[in-house]
Amino acid sequence: MTQTPGQDPAHPPASPGAPAAGRACPHCGAALDPAARFCEGCGQAVTAGAAAPGSSAAAQAAIASTATGPTVAGEASPGDDLGHSPISAPTHLTPVAPAPPAGRRPCTACGGQVGPDLYCEQCGTKAPTERDHFREEPAGWVAGVCDRGIAHHRNEDAMALAATPVPGERAVLVVLDGVSSSIDSDVASLAGARAAREVLRQRLPQGMGTPESRAAAVAKAFGDTVVAANEAVVAATAPDSPNPASATFVAAVLEGRRLAFANVGDSRAYWLPDPGQPGEPVQLTVDDSGAQAQIEAGVPREQAETSTHAHAITKWLGRDSPDLTPRVGELELSGSGWVLVCSDGLWNYASEPTAIAEVVVREQEAGATDPAALALALVRFANDCGGRDNITATLARVDAPVA
Amino acid sequence: MAEFTAAVYQNEYLPDGGTDVNAIVTVTCTGAGVAGKTGSGSAGEIIIVDTSGSMGTETMAAARKAAKAAVNEILDGTMFAIIAGSDRAALAYPRVTSGPGLVAMDSGTRAEALRSIDQFVASGGTAMSTWLDLAVTLFGSVPQVRQKHAILLTDGENREDAGKLDAAIRRATGVFQCDCRGAGTDWVVEEVRRIATALLGTVDIIPSAEQMQTQFQQIMQKAMSRGVADAQLRVWTPQGAQVLFVRQVAPTVEDLTSRRTEVNPLTGGYPTGAWSDESRDYHVAVRVAAKAIGQEQLAARVQLALGDDVVCQGLVKATWSNDSGQTTRIDPQVAHYTGQTELASMIQEGLAAKAQGDEATATTKLGRAVQLAAETGNEEATSKLRKVVDVENEAEGTVRLKRAVDKVDEMALDTASTKTTRIKK
Repeated sequence: MTQTPGQDPAHPPASPGAPAAGRACPHCGAALDPAARFCEGCGQAVTAGAAAPGSSAAAQAAIASTATGPTVAGEASPGDDLGHSPISAPTHLTPVAPAPPAGRRPCTACGGQVGPDLYCEQCGTKAPTERDHFREEPAGWVAGVCDRGIAHHRNEDAMALAATPVPGERAVLVVLDGVSSSIDSDVASLAGARAAREVLRQRLPQGMGTPESRAAAVAKAFGDTVVAANEAVVAATAPDSPNPASATFVAAVLEGRRLAFANVGDSRAYWLPDPGQPGEPVQLTVDDSGAQAQIEAGVPREQAETSTHAHAITKWLGRDSPDLTPRVGELELSGSGWVLVCSDGLWNYASEPTAIAEVVVREQEAGATDPAALALALVRFANDCGGRDNITATLARVDAPVA
Repeated sequence: MAEFTAAVYQNEYLPDGGTDVNAIVTVTCTGAGVAGKTGSGSAGEIIIVDTSGSMGTETMAAARKAAKAAVNEILDGTMFAIIAGSDRAALAYPRVTSGPGLVAMDSGTRAEALRSIDQFVASGGTAMSTWLDLAVTLFGSVPQVRQKHAILLTDGENREDAGKLDAAIRRATGVFQCDCRGAGTDWVVEEVRRIATALLGTVDIIPSAEQMQTQFQQIMQKAMSRGVADAQLRVWTPQGAQVLFVRQVAPTVEDLTSRRTEVNPLTGGYPTGAWSDESRDYHVAVRVAAKAIGQEQLAARVQLALGDDVVCQGLVKATWSNDSGQTTRIDPQVAHYTGQTELASMIQEGLAAKAQGDEATATTKLGRAVQLAAETGNEEATSKLRKVVDVENEAEGTVRLKRAVDKVDEMALDTASTKTTRIKK
């Protein structure tokens, strides 16, 4: 049995404590010895970090517990989960694929059936590896798609999502965009995203009662998250790497009507209210990029974002990071809409909040109404625009508060 | 139980904007068993012998011996019949006028069949269409026979109105396989090759009467070793792609492109006939829409199907690359068989030009053939070509037509033109 993490909230595991016991071959699903490098069932190579279905189920249980009360010592803690993940076992030059879903997905190019030879039976497109295209749907109201795009030869974007089963209760969306000029950034970004998600499984702190102290506490929580993600990125970097892995970071945490967010680099979070709902589409995060620096100096956005150094980021995660302090913010949501956390592979084609909101409305009108379908539609939109970079789109659906 | 495997030889890398994918797919059959014994229905054999008046006493005697040798190779239990062909076709054995036209081989029918061959008398003309039509009728009378094969021996040119033979070939296509042999030099290679090609068989010359018996024996032994009654080569191509050609390139060159039947909108089926333990190579060329650098695309699935069961599959891929070191390399197998295919057409076209008195064209084409035969290491073609032309420079393909050429040598070159050699893989 293989699933994307947290895909099946209806069946929480009886024992969330021992994730290593559930390690399974990502190719055939056979149980694996914890130290195995090759599957005894199918003979395929398995990296030490192959995702374990058991661990994702454990993660599901962990967040369920945080939703109902504080985490009890002895239950799954973030660190327990990492025994065989890329986080504590950096697999240099070996991309770590998330566990594939049961059965084969339809062709990502044409929607046709993918044959047992892993090529589409209609258009012949090669089915992407799980690292090149993966999806998460921790709950029906939260979903994301992470895709290689067209021009790049591998997917260095990564995401990690978590959500409670109750819509609107609590969701965590994390996106990291590995810098393609650095070595092993595909491994590092996924490790970093998962490490960040583990930290953010805890409820955000409330502070001492004043808004200021809460803001400071939230900033501290996100600061700790970035440090944990950074440690994972550095751990996935070869000690002698001449060009250490680096990545952007963006995370959004929705708790009821309160949306907190943080970023390092140029991956973004947007709040996109439904048409007719209070508020305008808004870009929540502020890029650490050459383009942003120019915008702040008065250059129009479109001009700044298409200039030569637009995509040069001024802050990043990695061994050579100049500054790990994230920009942090919070927003109180009033009506219904979408939280969108994405990489530049998506927003390159619709940067303005109103532009990306239009795409979201259009895709919903075309039938992509649930988060999973909409995330897929956004990735397809970016690929149709050229797919010049890796694309990640993660969404949380926020319904209007019950009066 | 027969097992099939497929291996693909290709350079999958295409340059930016490249669309044409070439691959050699080798299909190998092992454990074929023997004809009629593998559960796919029984086997049927028909021996067709030319008994026209042109068959001289010596040839007729040799043909009788050859037909008898063939009868002796047919395994017990195999359904069989013998046709004596002249300007009409006569069922020489079994002597029936209704009901099943083939009988099961046993010691009794074998003895009767051998006696019936002794009664062959040479008289009348040559109307091959009637021979093929009778074979179709006979095979049609035994529905339990799944594997249908015939041997056809002739010594002369077909004497019928143009189009009659082709119409009969069309009626026989897909009904039975036919290996054809021409005795002496009075028959027309091109004519008999049309029959053999359409009916998935071989064509060859039997220059002298004493070779006939051995040849027939071998053909029938080969036929009896084909334990896989019928198979279909299938080529899947992606939506929007175009199959440029599908050729069998080993052991002989046969263009299958026009024999496509639709399996489904994306898959074409091509008949391969029966299989023994053997390997056949296919050259598949597909045109796909160009994709971006770095993209990978499946250009073809090449499969062998027994009935509805796909028993093996080879994947032909396309990957676009901007590394000219990858994209300019031509796969050695593809290069080899491209050369061998051109060799076959150069020999045939050169001999045709020579027959029409166009010595300039004949010299150029046969010269190119000499060059290709040397380049691709086809020693049989080289030695047969050297009986027809004097070679001045093998590497450059410069030759002179021999003034006195034995007709047998020319026909042997023609019939052998489609035979290919393999290269080490």
